[in-house]
Amino acid sequence: MISAQTEETKLPPIDKSPMDMAYFPDNYPVLKIRDKAADNPVARVIYSRPQKAGRNIFGELVEYGTVWRMGANEATEIEFYQNVKIDGKKIQKGRYTLYAIVQQDKWTIIVNKDTDIWGAFKYDTKKDLLRTDVPVEKTIEINESLSMVFEKTMTGCNLVVAWDTIKVSLPISF
Amino acid sequence: MGYYKSFVADIFLILFMKKSSLLIGVVICLAIAGCTSNTKQQEEKTVEADSANHPDTDAAVQHSHNYAANMYATVDVSPMDMTYYPVEYYKLNMAKQATGPLIVRVIYSRPHLNGRKLFTDILKYGEPWRLGANESTEIQFFRDVTIQGKKIKTGRYILYCIPNEKSWTIIFNSNLDTWGLHQDTTKDLFKFDAPVIKVDHHTEYFTIIFEKSDKGANMLAAWDEYEIKLPIDF
Repeated sequence: MISAQTEETKLPPIDKSPMDMAYFPDNYPVLKIRDKAADNPVARVIYSRPQKAGRNIFGELVEYGTVWRMGANEATEIEFYQNVKIDGKKIQKGRYTLYAIVQQDKWTIIVNKDTDIWGAFKYDTKKDLLRTDVPVEKTIEINESLSMVFEKTMTGCNLVVAWDTIKVSLPISF
Repeated sequence: MGYYKSFVADIFLILFMKKSSLLIGVVICLAIAGCTSNTKQQEEKTVEADSANHPDTDAAVQHSHNYAANMYATVDVSPMDMTYYPVEYYKLNMAKQATGPLIVRVIYSRPHLNGRKLFTDILKYGEPWRLGANESTEIQFFRDVTIQGKKIKTGRYILYCIPNEKSWTIIFNSNLDTWGLHQDTTKDLFKFDAPVIKVDHHTEYFTIIFEKSDKGANMLAAWDEYEIKLPIDF
C-alpha cells in the first residue's frame, strides 16, 4: 500500500438530480443475470432526474414552446442496439440525444445526432434526425422525479416519460 | 434502474438464484423496508449538503424531497453518474473547446459509506465487487487504447474488481448490460492490478474520474480513504 501526502484530488460531489437508466426489455440487466434475457437489449435511455420540489413544472420551470433537455445536467441519451422505426422513419442503431419541446396538449420529441453534450444549451437543429409529436396525458398521482420507462406494445415499445402530473409515450417499432 | 432500493433488489436476486422460498424473501424484505426508513433522513441530509456546493445542477431545488416515491421508476439510493475523458468532455463539446476527440466514458452508480468502513463493513478482501452499485459499471472507449501493454479495442466493456489489501485487480468483461452481481468470469477479457493508495481524507460517495497523465489518462477510483489509479495509454 502506498501512502499519499500529495495534494487532495478534486472529486465530484453527488449530483442533485441523480442519473438513471432504463432498458427495453424492461429490467434487462436483472433478467440477464437470471438467464432470462434475449441476446441484446433493444434500447436504453440514460437521463438525469430533476425533482419537482414543490414547483410548478410544465408551463413554468419548463416553459411551453422552448427546447428542453428532458432531464438535467448531461443531455439525455438514447441508444438503440438495433435499427428501429419512430413515426415511420428508420433509425440506425447507435447513440442519440433526446430533447422535447413541451406544449400544453402535446410534446415534440426530437432525436438528434449530437451526443456527449451538456443539456440543450447548444442544441443544433441541423443535427436533428427526426421530430415527432406525441399527445400529453394526465397522471393520477404526482411524480416527484422525472421518470422514464419502456413499456411493451404490439409493435415494439413505448418510451414513457412522466413528471409532475404529465406523461407522454413515444412509440418505437421494431 | 430505479425499481428497487439497490440492496433490497440484490437480496431478492440472491434469494431467487438460490431458489429459496419466496416467503423468506418477502419476510426479509419487509424487515429491510422497516429499517430503511431510518436511514432515509440521513441520506437526504447528505444529498442536501453535497448539492450546496455543486453549481451544475438545478439550483432552484433547495427542499427536502421524497426521492423514492414514484409510480414509474423509484429513485435509486446510490445514484448513477458518468465521467468522461477528456474531463467534462460534454462541456468542452458544447463550448466548441474540445481540443481532442472523445476517448472514454464510464457509467457507474455511487454507493456511499453512510457510517460504515469500506473494509470490511462493505467490501471483503478477495471477493469480487462491481466497482459501483446496481447495474454493472460500464466503460466505453471511443478509440483503441493500451493498458499495461495490452491493446483494448474501441467499444463497451463492463468493469469489476477484486480488492485486496495492497492492490485491486480491475477486470474487463464482455457481459454487457447486466446487473452487477454474479459476474460471468468466462467472459473476462483483461485483468490489471492497480496498487492501493491510502489517502489522508475520506470520500463518502464512491467516485470514478479520469485525470490527464503523461501517456494518456488515469482512471482514478476513490472511496473511503483509498484510491486506485489505472493508467490508460493512447
